[in-house]
Amino acid sequence: MMQDPSNLLVLALVLPVAGLLLALVVGGRYAGRIALWLMPVGLAIAVMLVVSVIRADDALVYDLGGWMPPLGVALRADGLSAIFILTTVAVIGATGIFARTEFRTLPGQPETRTSLTFWALLLALWGALNLVFLSNDLFSLFVALELLTFSAIPLVCLDGRAGTLAAGLRYLLFALFGSVLYLLGAVLLYGAYGTLDIGLLSGLVRPEPVAWGAAALMTVGLMAKTALFPLHFWLPPAHAGAPAAASAVLSALVIKASLFLIVRLWFDAMPALMNPTAAQVLATLGAAAILFGSVLALRQARLKLLIAYSTVAQIGYLFLIFPLIVRPESGSFAAADLYTELAATVVSTSAWSGGVLQAVSHAFAKAAMFMAAGLIAQSLGHDRIADLSSIGRALPITVLAFALAGMSLMGLPPSGGFAAKWLLLTATIETGQWWWALVILGGGLLTGGYLFRVLAPALFGSRQSVTLRAPVARYREVVVLALALCSVLLGFVRLGAFDLVQIGRLAKAGMGLP
Amino acid sequence: MISTTTLFGLSSVILVGLGLFGLIVNPQPLRKILAFNLLGSGVFLLFGVIARRGAGAGLNSDPVPQALVITGLVVAFAATALAVALLLRLFQETGQAITLDTEDPSIHAPARSNDP
Amino acid sequence: MISAEMLLLISFATPVALLLACGWRMVRERMPTLFAFAPLPALATALWAVNRPPWVFNEARLHITFVLDMPGAILLGVAALLWSAAGLYASTYLRGHPNLGRFSIYWLLTLTGSLGVFVAADLFTFYLTFALLSLAAYGLVVFDGTPRARRAGIIYLVLALLGEIFLLMGFVLLASAIPGDSLAIRDALATLPTSPWRDPTVALLIAGFGLKMGLVPLHVWLPIAHPAAPMPASAVLSGAIIKAGVIGLIRFLPFDVPLPDWGVALTAVGLLTAFYSVVIGITQPNPKTVLAYSSVSQMGVVAAVLGMGLAAGQSNAVMAATFYSAHHLLAKGALFLAVGVVAATGPRRLWWVLVPAAILALGIGGLPLTGGALAKLAVKPVLGDGRVELLATLSAIGTTLLMLHFLHRLAASASPDPSASAPIGFALSWMLMFVAAIGVPWTLYGVTGIGVYDDVLQPKILWAALWPILIGAGLALGLWRWGRYLPPIPEGDIVVVGQPALRVVVRCEDALERVEGGLRQWPVAGLFMLLLILILGGVMFHGY
Repeated sequence: MMQDPSNLLVLALVLPVAGLLLALVVGGRYAGRIALWLMPVGLAIAVMLVVSVIRADDALVYDLGGWMPPLGVALRADGLSAIFILTTVAVIGATGIFARTEFRTLPGQPETRTSLTFWALLLALWGALNLVFLSNDLFSLFVALELLTFSAIPLVCLDGRAGTLAAGLRYLLFALFGSVLYLLGAVLLYGAYGTLDIGLLSGLVRPEPVAWGAAALMTVGLMAKTALFPLHFWLPPAHAGAPAAASAVLSALVIKASLFLIVRLWFDAMPALMNPTAAQVLATLGAAAILFGSVLALRQARLKLLIAYSTVAQIGYLFLIFPLIVRPESGSFAAADLYTELAATVVSTSAWSGGVLQAVSHAFAKAAMFMAAGLIAQSLGHDRIADLSSIGRALPITVLAFALAGMSLMGLPPSGGFAAKWLLLTATIETGQWWWALVILGGGLLTGGYLFRVLAPALFGSRQSVTLRAPVARYREVVVLALALCSVLLGFVRLGAFDLVQIGRLAKAGMGLP
Repeated sequence: MISTTTLFGLSSVILVGLGLFGLIVNPQPLRKILAFNLLGSGVFLLFGVIARRGAGAGLNSDPVPQALVITGLVVAFAATALAVALLLRLFQETGQAITLDTEDPSIHAPARSNDP
Repeated sequence: MISAEMLLLISFATPVALLLACGWRMVRERMPTLFAFAPLPALATALWAVNRPPWVFNEARLHITFVLDMPGAILLGVAALLWSAAGLYASTYLRGHPNLGRFSIYWLLTLTGSLGVFVAADLFTFYLTFALLSLAAYGLVVFDGTPRARRAGIIYLVLALLGEIFLLMGFVLLASAIPGDSLAIRDALATLPTSPWRDPTVALLIAGFGLKMGLVPLHVWLPIAHPAAPMPASAVLSGAIIKAGVIGLIRFLPFDVPLPDWGVALTAVGLLTAFYSVVIGITQPNPKTVLAYSSVSQMGVVAAVLGMGLAAGQSNAVMAATFYSAHHLLAKGALFLAVGVVAATGPRRLWWVLVPAAILALGIGGLPLTGGALAKLAVKPVLGDGRVELLATLSAIGTTLLMLHFLHRLAASASPDPSASAPIGFALSWMLMFVAAIGVPWTLYGVTGIGVYDDVLQPKILWAALWPILIGAGLALGLWRWGRYLPPIPEGDIVVVGQPALRVVVRCEDALERVEGGLRQWPVAGLFMLLLILILGGVMFHGY
């Protein structure tokens, strides 16, 4: 079995789905236990996948049923996929441990609805995410994204209150709107080029109206699912209303999946369309997201909403990578030899590494923050920022975790966020686009501002003692701290480990790019 | 003389347009769900047309779009079911019809207070 | 025999270990008694490990490198001394304080960063330690928890983050100019003069480090934050922590290659700072604020020295500025501790504190035979004989005036209880610092080869140091007579523009929030979706 590492791709998909089916059969009493047992196995698979990709120094491909594209459907894991699969299993695993007691059916008690739903949805989410990261076919990706949305939305309204139900419905309908646009784009591409396989498309797509239309439709549809400003309206109520464990996964992973797909589209499926002005448009939206998200986060009265708006802002950073990967001045595609032109266009590997590092460290940091906020809300009975004075005395580990995660968001050394910012700033200089450097730096200042609103009273409040309504289990605090530490320690592995990002990139493999 | 493919193509464009209009303008959730279905149907119809005109042109029929449309229909059906279920549950909770255009202001209000 | 590497490792391991030990409540409650010992390994390192090859901790492409050259060793040593004495003071100061654990954590964090900047040898380590000391010091500034301390904390933090941003961009520019993967400061410095981004890099570095030193107009936070902190924290803030800016300029500006424009600019800003803060300082009633302004002024002189060095490409400016800073570090630290001692001392024993304090205070103005006079002698060759030298002498007059004003305010701040006397911990740390502020500069002067002792005792040189003091004293008499006619100026002087600026910011935020409220409407978002499709499609069409 292990002779062929590409079997790992199938395993990574089968494992969560098998767990989901099993959980549905045995019911909520054992669902949690199944999920928690599967997570270490998933972690092992993800680690083996990363190692195999590094060892092969190329993407792993698995043709389902032995059918080759264009008729068959292939799974493909390059360095980027491997990193995201590992991040996913780490965050989902931590979420599972964090939620262990929260969604548990006690012996002798009747089984609750949430105990089954939560675990089943968590497994479904995990499977869907892995499918997004492994699919190499635009239609499979559509199905994967829909699976993801369908498992994410019930998580939002797990508590069944009217507010979260409305938030979930808005999220669902807007996400569906986005999906249809994506599908329309995929249909146009199929009509023009007769295939939906990313590898085949990358060699076929030419700059022509149908491809532009398809690219615009798909990108915007995915932007709606990523909640890029100004299509972000559904995110704050949905992420702030969900239970802490669910918010963590939603903010850390789910929105990254559609972003991952935008990256796949632009740099792998349709590299010929890579247009500097379009990249500037995307980054402008990202900059607006940073500004609006941060300012709105500054003004929220509730901790979870603050964190949700912070997600809106942090998504913005990820869209800054587009112009940093494509150099603005060499943007003409009129040249006869398209691929040489392209080779000159893709210059900055720092932007790639920085973007991925930003996504991964944000995933860990944001998961930690939402869980910390959940613990605070649980122990105080509220999450009003104005009443968080001296909470650091009562929940030192939680607040420490929040502060460490905040360090990473702000980009303070030695966190992963710092390394990401360093790389992105380097890319702005390499490509001569200093204005994006201003955005990155200014965003850091605003981030500091909204975190200060939480951390200053929490750490330096004048209350001498804080009485907690409910005690907080130590192991849950430790999980949050571990996530926060992951996001901080990522800063130490930069430069080296993130060469992995480049492994198996289509543009690199197929076109001999530097 | 309009060919069949063009006719189907035009119909799909009309469906997509109607769906977009409904999804953006109609405030009632049920109408939004229906509009989503219209939009989806338009896209599937377009896919059907493309099976005749696109890469499958000249062949008797291209099997890939048909397979994909069927999958897409299933996905759209599941989405509709989920949306309707949420809507019903929401109606049970609030006991009144809601609109989605403006959000529930309580989301942005301070959290429920248990403090004295 | 312990190797130099081990010694350096222990220097950092000690505060970090103590920090981790703070996790246990039992240890945390007793931590302040260990404050005095935490910096001692660093002191030992400074004494015994100078000029060894850089120590590189490089595993799996992780770059953490340290180097201990002469300027670094001098500043590390005197900073460790001050931290140790201030730690002794703090252990008495904190006895029975309810927030003692909190203080311990921020004290140790700041200590780690403060010692680290003097030995960091690569951009990453330097930025890490610099950021650590800047942010952790916030915890010391706001420790008292009063509204004044909170306001000071916010102003401090905003400016500290601004400084971090300047430096981050400056460092990225430095690193981009280095060919290859290296992040060593040595390589950065070698490529800086020929870097395509030389001017923005130098500007950002001067802004970032100048902010930490308190160069006008980025000094606003300093006279607000330093007096707001508890006494021992003020001492290390004004003594040791602002020297992070000095070591930054020393490490990152290329003194072998003349950069006349930047050198002249730095000198001008430095001299402006030196005079401006004297003018503002003499209007201040609080002795701690006066000391803070004096720190700003002295850092202005250091900046002027470094600027002259940069303009002419003379690398002896580095040692001169280091020596000047080292003396200031010790004397200013001691004087802040003196403020605390005086506040706890009644009139009966006051002279035992005031006389040594007067010696140190006038020493900063250059009183003959003090460390300050040696510091002024050390920078003389760098400043040359021209206008800059004259201005520096004038600034010595200003400093004397400011320090006499300080002594006046200090005497007025004594405890009203005639028989009160300072606790032994206060008195001991103060005496220790007094001895260090006199003895260490004298020792260093000869040992490091900055000058020879014979020169110091020549009557001509003694007189040259004395007459500015006498003029300053004359001016001080005038200040006492007519000082009440001076306008009252708030701490942080130009910070008053912050209030209207803040209102504008709040109004902008309001506007953004309203716009976002509009975008949260479903139809608006839906239309934006269509609009974005058109824009993206159109842009691609146009680009083609």
